[in-house]
Amino acid sequence: MRILIATGGSEHSKVAVQMGAALAETVPLEVTILTVIKRAGQQAEAQRIVAEARQILGTAVPHVRTKIRQGKPADTILRELRDGRYDLVILGEREHHTFIAHIFNATTGDRIIHQAYCPVLIAKKAARPVHSLLLCDSGLSGPTLLDRLQQQLPELLQSNPEVTILHVMSQISAGPGVKGEQLRADADVLIQERSPEGDLLARDLQQLSQEGVSARPKIRHGLVVDEILDESVCGDYDLIVIGAHQGKGWQRFLLEDLMERIVLGSDRPVLIIQ
Amino acid sequence: MEKRPYTNQTTSGSNPDGSIRFQEQPADITPARSVNGHISVSRWVLLRQLSWYKVPLFFISIFLFILAITLMKEGAKGLIPLMQDGFQNRTPTNSLGFGWLFAYLIMSGSPVAASALTFLDAGVLDALSTFTMITGSRLGASFIVLFIGFIYVLRGRNRTTSLDMGLLSLIVTASTHIPALFLGAFLLEWGILDGFQLSSGVLLTGLMDAIFDPIAAFFLSFLPQLALFVVGLVIIMISFSLFDRCLPQMSLKESHVGRMSRLVYRPSIMFLLGAGLTLISMSVSVSLSLLVPLSARGFVRRENVIPYIMGAGVTTFIDTLFAAVLLTDPQAFTVVLVEMVAVTLVSLLLLATIFRWYEHWVLRSVAWTTANNRNLTIFMLAIFIVPIVLLIF
Repeated sequence: MRILIATGGSEHSKVAVQMGAALAETVPLEVTILTVIKRAGQQAEAQRIVAEARQILGTAVPHVRTKIRQGKPADTILRELRDGRYDLVILGEREHHTFIAHIFNATTGDRIIHQAYCPVLIAKKAARPVHSLLLCDSGLSGPTLLDRLQQQLPELLQSNPEVTILHVMSQISAGPGVKGEQLRADADVLIQERSPEGDLLARDLQQLSQEGVSARPKIRHGLVVDEILDESVCGDYDLIVIGAHQGKGWQRFLLEDLMERIVLGSDRPVLIIQ
Repeated sequence: MEKRPYTNQTTSGSNPDGSIRFQEQPADITPARSVNGHISVSRWVLLRQLSWYKVPLFFISIFLFILAITLMKEGAKGLIPLMQDGFQNRTPTNSLGFGWLFAYLIMSGSPVAASALTFLDAGVLDALSTFTMITGSRLGASFIVLFIGFIYVLRGRNRTTSLDMGLLSLIVTASTHIPALFLGAFLLEWGILDGFQLSSGVLLTGLMDAIFDPIAAFFLSFLPQLALFVVGLVIIMISFSLFDRCLPQMSLKESHVGRMSRLVYRPSIMFLLGAGLTLISMSVSVSLSLLVPLSARGFVRRENVIPYIMGAGVTTFIDTLFAAVLLTDPQAFTVVLVEMVAVTLVSLLLLATIFRWYEHWVLRSVAWTTANNRNLTIFMLAIFIVPIVLLIF
């Protein structure tokens, strides 16, 4: 798997490099470390950053390439992603920013998440090898999250992690007379009743079973972000997998950015599948 | 494709600003599919073909509304001796409780708010008491959805499913209107919005007087003035009922708009949607009932509902504002305007600052209430005892 680790030498960036090293324990990787400088005079500093990153990767990744580029960070990283045909980019935790900045994709992290063609892994706190995945499949129209994960990062599933497929039902009854047994049902009942959520879980389970991956379905009831974050802690998962399905254009003004809130609220790495 | 055994609930109508009548139908949630299997959007019909009988019905409802206001205005003068005995030396707190209980009694808020304005116009109530009575009417009206849910619980339906929407509606209304009460009292006291007026115009007023005053005089020829208010109250309830029937029936199976129930929208967007739909429907209960057909299964996301109710709580005063314009009483207009501005400011403040905390607090309150029968009993008792206490003390 070809991955790009973007580092600026900050503590968050170091965690991104550590995440690369941790990932290499379960998945064979070809790593490229990229540092972007704004001026030619920062070359020495950039050399120090990539050397430090090499050291962190150590023997976990035998073949490491390093690149130093000059330009605007987001543009440069996106160009490198496009030219290098990477499978994954790892970034450090994104900084908090304003609503306006988010709307206009003004931050580096935002721009990469929304414009990268490949999955983006946001490293958080201490990195650790990926043995368990929390796959948060919303079941919205189009290819499912699992479909996209299988298509974009098949190596991740081939490393045989334990997968939990989570669907959060945040719905409540819209009126007093609506029958809402499914609003309280667990995964098994929903699968048995062939509700839309049950069908989604059943389909994902079948797909993973065909891949030889052990998986279990899970339904939680409550606010989407709260339940995902709570489950990630309760289940002590190594990686949260979510989809970047916030929509484009005018939809960005209408829809809540759950991805942003999950990334900000989570204490463990988040993989965003495009 | 196999159809799943869901039932779809559609509103078969709603009483004025109050009870919603649901009709269970077998749901057709089979998505329309095009040749390549993708869901087609063609089956979403926002407005059915215009039913022509609704056009005269609309004008009749408006006619009755204006007639009702005229009769209530005249009738309220006859109520002066009676009401002054009851309200003399009474506080705005008492009128808050009165409006609240009055709305329970007639299962609707808008007629109570209109009554409050006619009391103000007749000099029975001062501006502040009118303001609190209108707030009370909203609190009482928000109980209606909960009451319907409670009936479903008594009929054996699940407590949580039946009561969630009613409780949300009541708690959101209370938590926005009660702070707005204090803000509004301040705005009224300082006369900050007194300069903003909207009159119906001399020509229109003259025309309306020419049409409706003879009718009021006709009623007065054989009814005591006191009874005129009651007749007006009945007519205004009929006019709201007719107006609800004029609204287009929402019909939705599977569509882009149907996705609304599956997506999580920004709170500000849902706030505007709730405000907009209530502005058109002139009724919170109707705009809440619109949420049912928006999802084929009658489910809506928690994240979307609270700001939607907040938005609906602002524009639900539009009919009261219309009544104030018809009364040609500047003070009445100011009272309603203050009500709308105060609720809007409180709602926007909540949305802009502590919305996440507020959302959790509302949902926790709902969960606590439906957790067991004891909590539900405490809650139900509280919402009856509180207005009685406010009325008496």
